[in-house]
Amino acid sequence: MTIDPAHPVPPVLPRFAGPEQIPPHVPKALVRSIGLTVGEAFLAAPHDFMARLHETMPPIFYDVNEFCNAWQLIKHEDALFALRHPEFFSNEGATPFPRDPDDYFYFIPIEIDPPAHRKYRNIVDPIFSPQGVLKLEGLIRQRANDLLDEFVDKGECEFTTAFGRPLPVSVFLDIMGLPQDMRDTFVQWAVNLLHSNDRATMAEAMKVITAYLKQAIAEKKAHPDEGVVSRIAHAAPDGVPLSDKEVFGFVIFIFIGGLDTVFATLNNIWLWLAQNPERVQEIIDRPADINAIVEELLRRWSVTFSGRVVAQDVEMRGVQMKKGDRVTSILPACNFDPEVFPNPLDVDFDRPRKTILAFTVGVHSCMGGHLARLELKIALQEWLKRIPRFTVKPGAKITYRPGGVVGPKAVPLVW
Amino acid sequence: MPKVTYIDHHGMATGVDVPVGENVMRGALYNNVEGIAGECGGALSCATCRCYVDDAWTVKVGGPASHEERELLADVVELDAAEGALARNVRLSCQITMTPALDGLVVHLPAKQFF
Repeated sequence: MTIDPAHPVPPVLPRFAGPEQIPPHVPKALVRSIGLTVGEAFLAAPHDFMARLHETMPPIFYDVNEFCNAWQLIKHEDALFALRHPEFFSNEGATPFPRDPDDYFYFIPIEIDPPAHRKYRNIVDPIFSPQGVLKLEGLIRQRANDLLDEFVDKGECEFTTAFGRPLPVSVFLDIMGLPQDMRDTFVQWAVNLLHSNDRATMAEAMKVITAYLKQAIAEKKAHPDEGVVSRIAHAAPDGVPLSDKEVFGFVIFIFIGGLDTVFATLNNIWLWLAQNPERVQEIIDRPADINAIVEELLRRWSVTFSGRVVAQDVEMRGVQMKKGDRVTSILPACNFDPEVFPNPLDVDFDRPRKTILAFTVGVHSCMGGHLARLELKIALQEWLKRIPRFTVKPGAKITYRPGGVVGPKAVPLVW
Repeated sequence: MPKVTYIDHHGMATGVDVPVGENVMRGALYNNVEGIAGECGGALSCATCRCYVDDAWTVKVGGPASHEERELLADVVELDAAEGALARNVRLSCQITMTPALDGLVVHLPAKQFF
């Protein structure tokens, strides 16, 4: 059924969870419980765990867990197919966030299938295009150096709170036209929503975020500015203004998508840099190759997953999927597919360019991908200019956050 | 404003104004021209915006702009095979930036951007 974005209603899709709710068409031989994002083996070393799936799992398997049973895709080719064929793999109802059924909204544009999603992308794509984000380059460099000023002389920092967290969130607030003094509050809300692993905490986070953003939208409606919130609030594709529900669903989606992913990406990468000083030197020695370096680091340290709902029965690799089944592309695993990226765990800046899945593909390909690339590039350049040699603080034990955005909890560094 | 004409695989032409500095991929997307996906938005990652520059324009447009564009195009030769002689003029349309000299540009679009 095609949904009406201006008049959202909660989806009536079934959600199966746990071993008692495995649909009869799922072959027992393909059922697994791998503890993705929450299990001990995953949390010990998430990326190694996801790379190993190519040895330990069938190419398509059905994961059973307490949140949502779903087919799992780990082959690069399969994820490309699923993400590029919305007629089989729909986004409607595929985003697992609790929402108030009496004040329901869609996450826009992620929950809108083509062709309707394009009108939303056209509102913000000019800002997030490669040329659009380049306008922010000076500001991002400034923000990176302001943060570095605070700790460069101390000889140590906890990376995630000193740099990994504040940099992307500050840049995000600038783009959105929201005040910088909300920075730490925003991060805490996002952590509760994405990492708490507790439905009650998620619902409470959603409530406070909703209240704040509704007030921010009302303010931008009254006082327009150049920020993204204002741009969405005043958008009128084909002369028709967006409804309040559309505006809210769009703004809150960017909030959720933009706040935590770059943060986790930086944290993963800086941990690796701290453990590999000779590779840091290689990055410093190859300034002209920075774009290829960024792309390879994004492949090696992808942080998230992409969910769909089967829209009509479909067969992949002989596996029958039925309408209503849920499907997850384990994007980091797809980036470790040895058939596409030989020796997948090796960081190799000279790999031939292939489509990476850090930002997914298809019409819902991440709108913030160019911004994320630019932020990572600038973060590397500015940090390495001022702190070219650094290591993990001796004795520090690295642990990972459970949840849908993969990264270490803390990264204590010394130099 | 410079004009670009997109000719789809059935031969249907659509003329679109594309501002100087904008690329040929976005010109299609913003104007609902079918046949270009442009998934990654111009990051040289997806190779889903390929087009075939009309023979009359190949000199002005030139060949692939970078090593990365050449590598990505090498991955879609199988798709190009279906396009016959035109395939020799293949480019990623996100890498063709409009200039006043390209006013009137004609590009042909493939039947599909991916399998």
